[in-house]
Amino acid sequence: MKLELGKLTIRDIRFSEESKISEGILYVSKEDLRRVALTEEKIKSADFDIARPGESVRITPVKDVVEPRVKTEGPGGIFPGFIAGVDTVGSGKTLALKGMAVVTTGPIVNFQEGVIDMSGPGADYTPFSKLLNLCVICEPVDNCEKHQYESALRMAGLKIASFVAGLGKDIAPEETETFETPDLLTGMKAFPELPRVAYVQMLQSQGLLHDTYVYGVDAKKILPTVLYPTESMDGAILSGNCVSACDKNPTYIHENNPIVEDLFKQHGKTINFVAHVITNENVFLADKERSSNQTAKLCKMLGLDAVIISEEGFGNPDTDLIMNCKKIEAEGIKTVIVTDEYAGRDGKSQSLADADKAADALVTAGNANQLVRLPKLDKVIGTMDYISKIAGSSDKALQSDGSIEVEIQVITGATSEVGFHTLSAR
Amino acid sequence: MVKEIERSGLPVVHVCTVTPISMTVGANRIVPAIAIPHPLGNPSLPKEEEKALRRKIVEKALKALTTEVTGQTVFKD
Repeated sequence: MKLELGKLTIRDIRFSEESKISEGILYVSKEDLRRVALTEEKIKSADFDIARPGESVRITPVKDVVEPRVKTEGPGGIFPGFIAGVDTVGSGKTLALKGMAVVTTGPIVNFQEGVIDMSGPGADYTPFSKLLNLCVICEPVDNCEKHQYESALRMAGLKIASFVAGLGKDIAPEETETFETPDLLTGMKAFPELPRVAYVQMLQSQGLLHDTYVYGVDAKKILPTVLYPTESMDGAILSGNCVSACDKNPTYIHENNPIVEDLFKQHGKTINFVAHVITNENVFLADKERSSNQTAKLCKMLGLDAVIISEEGFGNPDTDLIMNCKKIEAEGIKTVIVTDEYAGRDGKSQSLADADKAADALVTAGNANQLVRLPKLDKVIGTMDYISKIAGSSDKALQSDGSIEVEIQVITGATSEVGFHTLSAR
Repeated sequence: MVKEIERSGLPVVHVCTVTPISMTVGANRIVPAIAIPHPLGNPSLPKEEEKALRRKIVEKALKALTTEVTGQTVFKD
């Protein structure tokens, strides 16, 4: 499967009468955006704002971050199962708008969402402070259930990203990157001397609005399966969760998964990048056992030599992580696990809830309990009403000078367990 | 907590969903629970059935408490 990923860099976003992309500037009409958002019947009102890198702006409560992408050639559409039909994606041509994102905000469950600071020390902890963010602020209709609000805001974000990307459909990309995965047999013949490596991605699927979707299917209902690695670049996997925002994968990270991209860079040189295996993190023990059994089975079937396993979240998913690691290693396949740590504010507590001797190669994305003081910023997009309730904050967070003292757990993407951000340790 | 109470001489049954973590931390009598968001019940069941389920877990835990063990044991049935 081959995907040509075209990139068009957006240099500024401006509100305007007419929606268009011209000379690298994205002009959007609030009326157009509102029309798109209000197609979600559980949304009462929608407003929009723009946050630029370096501005004294805090966005909170952040639900999702989405990179606008559109298919320009080939089967299917971006976000299959939600925006497009359920054709298999990941081939043909896709255009991505780089340098920008659509950020959805709203107090859905209020302690479950995150924070993005565009300047100051908080900005260093989130990858999304470097983007031009088109913020979508949606109020739900009266008596809207939380899960309906979550679904409506998720859909509004995807629809607006698709609308914006559509404005660039006929513009030639500035650069194009090609990603290609041969079928199993061809790959085996082409690279007989290279180690066969796959990526095992664990998807957050604990329920209670901690969900991830694959081709429209709630990931808690899937059995582990195999994707071509380009499928996620076309939005086959998308986020429905953000609690403890530091280590959840917003849709943007699924579209731009650095483990997938880095494995592609080594493909045909030092490794044969065989496949992208996805599995879930459910709350019943039998589900954890079944999914890790099936994951190990798939790795064995694919004739792998090694895998990289990434976790999403922490706590009981640490057990899924260790089960995957142990069972895949038991098949004679080497593993490296990627996770983050909840080692207490002093860093002295046990980092993961579970452990095993098989997990002897680990990359950490930092300690989510680390405290940070974030100064008061001039402008808030969204609301500060819930800042002391967000997971990783506390009722002592708000200081007399208007700054907040919180764990980096509150910051969207701070300890990304696919290595999307910069924190790590030696 | 399981280990500290046991250290003072009282037997403990750990009722928990993720029994592998219980094994890792060193509990001796482990009774599997239902699910992480609702360890001791199942809100999707009708009331009567749920009551029976809850009673079964408690009875299993009491039985485990009075059973001699020689090592870490998960009481599956």
